[in-house]
Amino acid sequence: MTRYKLAGCLALAMAAVGFIPAGMGVAQAAGTLIWGMPAETDILDPHATGGWSTYQITYQIFEGLVKEDLTDPTAATPALIPGLAKSWTISDDGLVYTFSLREGVKFHDGTPFDAEAVKFNFERFWDESSPNFYPKAKAFVIAYTKWIKSVEAVDPMTVRITLTAPNYQWLRQGLQSYGQPLMISPASVKEYGNDGVAAHPVGTGPFKFVERDQGVKTVIENFPDYWGKKALLDKVIFRPLQDPATRVNALESGEIHMMSPPWDEIERLVSEGFVLTTNENVPFINYIHLNYNFPPMQDIRVRQAINMAIDREGIAKEIYAGTARAEYGMLSPGTDAYDPNFKSYSYDPEGAKKLLAEAGYADGLKMVFEIPQYGTGEIVETWIQRDLAKVGIDLELRKYEWVTYLGKWAGGMTPDIAMNEIGWGMSTPAWIGIVARCDTIAPNGQNSGAYCNEKVDALLDEAIVTADPEAAAALYQQANRIIMDDAAFVPVVDDMQPMMLAPNVKGFVNPPEDWFDLSIVSIE
Amino acid sequence: MGAFLAKRFLGVLPVIFGVSIVIFLLVQLAPGDTATVLLGPQATEAAKEELRRALGLDRPLAVQYFQWLGRVLTGDFGTSIATQIPVLDLVLPRFVNTLILTAASLLLAIVLGYGIGFFTALRANSLFDRIATSCMLMAGSAPPFWLGLVLVLVFAIDLGWFPVSGMEDFAGDGGTMDLLHHLVLPAVTTALGPAAIIARIVRSGILDVLGRAHVRVARSKGLQRRDLLRRHVILNALPPIVTITGLQLGYLLGGALLTEVVFAWPGLGSLLYDSITARDLPVLQAATLLIALAFVLANIAVDAINAMLDPRLREI
Repeated sequence: MTRYKLAGCLALAMAAVGFIPAGMGVAQAAGTLIWGMPAETDILDPHATGGWSTYQITYQIFEGLVKEDLTDPTAATPALIPGLAKSWTISDDGLVYTFSLREGVKFHDGTPFDAEAVKFNFERFWDESSPNFYPKAKAFVIAYTKWIKSVEAVDPMTVRITLTAPNYQWLRQGLQSYGQPLMISPASVKEYGNDGVAAHPVGTGPFKFVERDQGVKTVIENFPDYWGKKALLDKVIFRPLQDPATRVNALESGEIHMMSPPWDEIERLVSEGFVLTTNENVPFINYIHLNYNFPPMQDIRVRQAINMAIDREGIAKEIYAGTARAEYGMLSPGTDAYDPNFKSYSYDPEGAKKLLAEAGYADGLKMVFEIPQYGTGEIVETWIQRDLAKVGIDLELRKYEWVTYLGKWAGGMTPDIAMNEIGWGMSTPAWIGIVARCDTIAPNGQNSGAYCNEKVDALLDEAIVTADPEAAAALYQQANRIIMDDAAFVPVVDDMQPMMLAPNVKGFVNPPEDWFDLSIVSIE
Repeated sequence: MGAFLAKRFLGVLPVIFGVSIVIFLLVQLAPGDTATVLLGPQATEAAKEELRRALGLDRPLAVQYFQWLGRVLTGDFGTSIATQIPVLDLVLPRFVNTLILTAASLLLAIVLGYGIGFFTALRANSLFDRIATSCMLMAGSAPPFWLGLVLVLVFAIDLGWFPVSGMEDFAGDGGTMDLLHHLVLPAVTTALGPAAIIARIVRSGILDVLGRAHVRVARSKGLQRRDLLRRHVILNALPPIVTITGLQLGYLLGGALLTEVVFAWPGLGSLLYDSITARDLPVLQAATLLIALAFVLANIAVDAINAMLDPRLREI
């Protein structure tokens, strides 16, 4: 920190006496940003972790061949921009991707980035025959690697990747909240071992890792040799602060600069001068899986009735204090296939009652709803419980601790359970395939409610091999319409990712993604 | 005294052994498994199977347990499954942080509890006694979560005297003063409950002894008040008070874990929480073992102090 400040002063002094033009030469690093996070994040190995909160740190340290542009708050979907590849071409048959790599890029440990480094990383998360292979990485990056047929270093600055089948979402699939194929310094992996990357993350990004005191803080600092536009901050400190009230207090007392606020504190904090940022296009949706193995749920009228009985607008307005939007389809607003005008089932409790009566449940129906313990209480779930009670459905909430819940959700619902829920999504519309295809029915995938419609699968298969983005979007929208005509899920709301900032935080962009580019942020 | 302590120390071993078995089994009873946590929901069943094999989680429970025990006896607590950090590197600093908080709270609870208890006993049923006893009762009944937040609101946000959270000022240089500054509010929060209990016990203990025949005799012999209190009252009242104080240590350890959440104090509390949610058995085992050890050792210390105070106890 002192070094840059000194350099900055020197540069200013020299500029003043006419040695060099002002604003040239020296990066103007300033300040330390402290971010109060709701939980400790996972390990910082981007190949072997899958949580979006962890990517909020790893995004600053690591880069992929292709990046998402997170500096535009108005974009509907983050644009794919050159990262460590300065350009790439896709063959006409959609099978061969040729990346020409950026020259002069250095990892934080000073070693050069080149085609060999790319090959090493692909061996780590994809090539089981390689001594560099890391099974845990493969388990996470699988959505991306399962398409790969071969990886070749054509020359020191060119890499060619051949796919087994065309997939026009492939590049974006590599930038989602599952293991990400970002570039780790091969030298660091050799030094610390595959498991060691967790505690020694060495990438090429605008910030480099400094230290981590588990449960206390993770510190990253400005990387002065970054190839691109250098970060403005000296340092970022990520502090896990589990208790929401503690986070609010810490923000108010100036101990942290940013945090995701509890809904019921938003209005007060804004009135005190803190700055609220949101984004309407976050690729995230809170939704309910309806269980096709629960006998009454096999009647479409029951599924439709549940969709009509829940007052989503009320939930968005009353519970989320306006920082969420009611959702009627399974395509999240962060994807380029999202249609804001799409409406499936409007709030209509009377209609729901009628449908239930037609289905033979005029005297009511008992159901079990499995829900996770996830730090936000069960206020949304009790709202849903109350809404369903109004149409005669007696909903029992069964709450599980998060890990237990995750296991139950991923394993698929048993026939005595009517529904479960999760908040999820990706900026690729191909995500709906993960939760709604016949071949992803749990436990083979995350289709927890065992929904299956072959027409949907056919449309998704067609969409993924469609090169024209608009034509592909139309196909995803068609699939979404069928899914909602079937009333297979209950989309509830999407979260607009509220972030509360101290007034001296400048340049922060809340992008259509679950993580942020902190290199453009500064502290005044 | 030596034999007395040796006997007590021998008794520790089965307790620690029992605790380690109970924790091990409790974690196994919880649904959800380590492989799912580590590999995420998109992992294939084959990948999960392989990981379970690699971690030895597919072996019978008894085998897993004794393998763990064998390693621990040689001082090897293993590596954290979730963070890949050696368990002791992870647990020991956090344990020390919890001990700092617990020790500060104990000191505070003793000073407050003994002081208030003693003076309210001497002035029993006076206005001072009633006010002090009611105040302690209220402070002692407040849940630490709520109490901590109120203290933060008043002393950190409104008055700005103390920091809100953590053990250090991230913008400053740290140091002992910084630590003490951060320690005040969490220590007060944790200490008030036990202080109230200690105060009540001290008060009733002293009152009880004050009414005994030997005190009346001593008083009638014209013994000075100070000598009377020191030699005949306090010494006789102490053993049950020390025992209760020792028991409060367990409460303080538990209370500290709760206070840690409110003040983001980086102790064992949040580490335990994280290791439970990640099913990180090696960390969980080491952390609970340390807590059990601290608790048992504290009880031995209390026994030793009581034995020093009351020679009759040494013969047991």
